[in-house]
Amino acid sequence: MTTTEMGRRSSDRRPVITELIDEPTIQSIAEDAWTALVGEDEILVPLPGELPGDVVSSWVDVVGPWTGTVVLTTGRETAAGLTRALLGEHAPAELEDEDIVDAFGEIANVVGGNVKAALPGPSALSLPDVGDAPAVRNPADLCRVDVLWRGEPLSISVQGALPALPVH
Amino acid sequence: MTLTTTSFDWVRELVHRESAIVLQPGKEYLVEARLLPIARQLGITDVSQYVESVRTRPSPDSTRQIVEALTTNETSWFRDGDPFTALTATVLPSLLAARGPNERLQIWSAACSSGQEPYTIAMLLEDALPNASSRVSITATDLSREMVERTKAGRFSQLEVNRGLPAAMLVRHFTRAGTEWEVAAPLRRMVTASECNLATALPRMGPFDVVYLRNVLIYFDLPTKQAILRRVRDLMRPDGWLFLGAAETTLGVDDSWERVVVGRSSAYRPLKGA
Amino acid sequence: MRALVIDDSRAMRRIVSGTLEKLGFEVEQAGDGREGLDALERGYIPDLVTVDWNMPVMDGLQFVSAVRSNPGYRSMTIMMVTSESEHTQIVRALAAGAHEYVIKPFTADALRDKLALLGLLPQEVSL
Repeated sequence: MTTTEMGRRSSDRRPVITELIDEPTIQSIAEDAWTALVGEDEILVPLPGELPGDVVSSWVDVVGPWTGTVVLTTGRETAAGLTRALLGEHAPAELEDEDIVDAFGEIANVVGGNVKAALPGPSALSLPDVGDAPAVRNPADLCRVDVLWRGEPLSISVQGALPALPVH
Repeated sequence: MTLTTTSFDWVRELVHRESAIVLQPGKEYLVEARLLPIARQLGITDVSQYVESVRTRPSPDSTRQIVEALTTNETSWFRDGDPFTALTATVLPSLLAARGPNERLQIWSAACSSGQEPYTIAMLLEDALPNASSRVSITATDLSREMVERTKAGRFSQLEVNRGLPAAMLVRHFTRAGTEWEVAAPLRRMVTASECNLATALPRMGPFDVVYLRNVLIYFDLPTKQAILRRVRDLMRPDGWLFLGAAETTLGVDDSWERVVVGRSSAYRPLKGA
Repeated sequence: MRALVIDDSRAMRRIVSGTLEKLGFEVEQAGDGREGLDALERGYIPDLVTVDWNMPVMDGLQFVSAVRSNPGYRSMTIMMVTSESEHTQIVRALAAGAHEYVIKPFTADALRDKLALLGLLPQEVSL
């Protein structure tokens, strides 16, 4: 018998991210990351802001019982500010692009690693990438948190890798 | 208004005296950020004003609030190390030899805060004794109801479990609960948490074989320290062991204790006939 | 005291090195497990190695296994410093021979506490 004859079995159903994690959990992961990496008095205000035209994203892939990507997106200026804050006294007078790629990528690594650990495992984590955000493949397999850091908008998006299954 | 030099210096001295922690110059912003919420709760908008009000009329509660606000990050597992390694290396073997096989050992964590201390003790005993939960009871008390609830829950954030907890113990004694780590059920069963104000008459508890009374006496004046030590001794076995904070001693406070070197730490034992 | 800090993120290398230097360590850096092994093979034998997990070329777990299987490197204390925080991952790291494990995000205090546990630390605590 083939799958189509038996109908869809429950074990074939892939969980969508909203069944596995929620916004407050992502918020809490981000807050811990900011407290430790950016500064202990840093606050992420859970309010949406309008992202500027010129944005940059950093992301890591999670491969496991749930497969997808954890994406951070913010304005280029904010990413530079984050880099400076992260490096603290080690920040050079002039920030290079590669400083920003490195720092913003590392923040994705820290947030992504902790999101992964809150999901059913075991899962593997990719190295971070920086650039234009990967597209959302399935709007139903998406959990997103929008925050303001020092008044500037930043979004953290946990998005599934696979498109929605066609509905018969 | 920013913190005045006088206020900052007084706070630095207070924190160092009470907790042995050094606040470096340049950390005024940290003091302001941590004390502002407390000041606001009291209806004071200026941190210097708040600090001055405590400095001119200090009380155990108000000074403790300031010290805690600035040192809460210091809540860690196995704080100072030696008083805990001493438990399994010296104290436990001594007690097991002195007690009958069916006697339950009783340990008191007398300022348990969010639970790191009583669970540090629980983990050590679990690793040292077969059937630890049937051999030992750990009483955890704190002045704060919130802290008692946290201790009961036995859940800690990732940032909290990073603080001085050996990784091998983390994986052995905790399970993940979302983004948090939860102490394993057998250890939670070993610990009973309740509210207790050391500065007043104590409820019937114990008698305790071991007491951890760490970094609490420092908040009190001499007569209260003496009263607390007396009350604690009344709840202890005559051959019991008392551990104080790294910067604390009974010397000059209460001479009815014998100081004993245990490993690289000190413990205090009730003096016979005192 | 000497340390080797291995992480593919330059920012993280700077942060960890900065904390260790303040604690009195002399620090060398490497960008992946292979570079880390090269540093050891060149004769830089540190007291402490901090190593990330996910890195290109050779990851942290492979580095730990390689080092722990070499008797010549027995004196080194190895601490993983990584965002990998699943229970199973920590077990794998300890089983491979890592002595300690710091989960990212971590504070300078957390790193210091772990070093105290390992007996690699001077006495006074300061904020």
